[in-house]
Amino acid sequence: MTQQRTLAEVGASLPSVTKLITQDKINTYAQAGGDKNPLHTDAEFAARTQFGGTIAHGMLVLAYVSEMLTAAFGEDWLARGRMKIRFRAPARPGDTVTASGNVTFTSGGRIVCAVECRNSAGELLISGEAEVRA
Amino acid sequence: MPTLASFAKGHSFPPVSFDLTSDWVNGYVAAVEDEAISQLGADLVPPMAVAALAIRALLEQSGLPPGTLHAGQELTFAAPVRTGDSLAVTAEIVSRGERAGWVLMSIDLRVDRGRESVMTGRSTVSFPIGEGVAA
Repeated sequence: MTQQRTLAEVGASLPSVTKLITQDKINTYAQAGGDKNPLHTDAEFAARTQFGGTIAHGMLVLAYVSEMLTAAFGEDWLARGRMKIRFRAPARPGDTVTASGNVTFTSGGRIVCAVECRNSAGELLISGEAEVRA
Repeated sequence: MPTLASFAKGHSFPPVSFDLTSDWVNGYVAAVEDEAISQLGADLVPPMAVAALAIRALLEQSGLPPGTLHAGQELTFAAPVRTGDSLAVTAEIVSRGERAGWVLMSIDLRVDRGRESVMTGRSTVSFPIGEGVAA
């Protein structure tokens, strides 16, 4: 794939993905993912926590990183993808979050990328590394 | 239902089987607004949907102690998954430690399609010591 050859160069940027987090989206994800932790869906409960309000599921925000990698590497990501990340800070309703990344290493069909997700204030929400074998 | 706080290192959760119905997959794709997966093929499932399913299987057998935070995630995808596939999820607590009033726990996840592994991963969560033990 032409796109993959381009992305096989160190320093190449992955196509970023930007989403608006809303409480409705968090609630929809809670239903689909079966994660009904009140920290995500119960405003009164969440207000009493260290976060002061509801936050998005980490796996919802991480899905945006995976969407970026799917757009970048196609079925190779689905068949031979690997990711190791840390959740650094929560995404909240009203946040606009952007997943981005760049290629840091390539060798023999192996492409390693630094990936991250930040909110519109620039706060780091997720950081880590992804790898694809083309 | 017991929470994760009740389990020690080495605890294995019984396998849980899922059928990836089109309704569930469509609901997941709508929830995460994945615009990339549909470019690949009509029946391919986002790999993170498989990861979400694995965690869902865990949550069906164990509640989360109050205040649980998802600290980290490792995922390895070994094969594309399609709508209609039948998957089996297994999980095991591989580490449990305590530090500064918090429990730090890692759980290995494995998703198989028949005899083929399609995803493995490790979830790391933390929760306050003492929370959820008697739930």
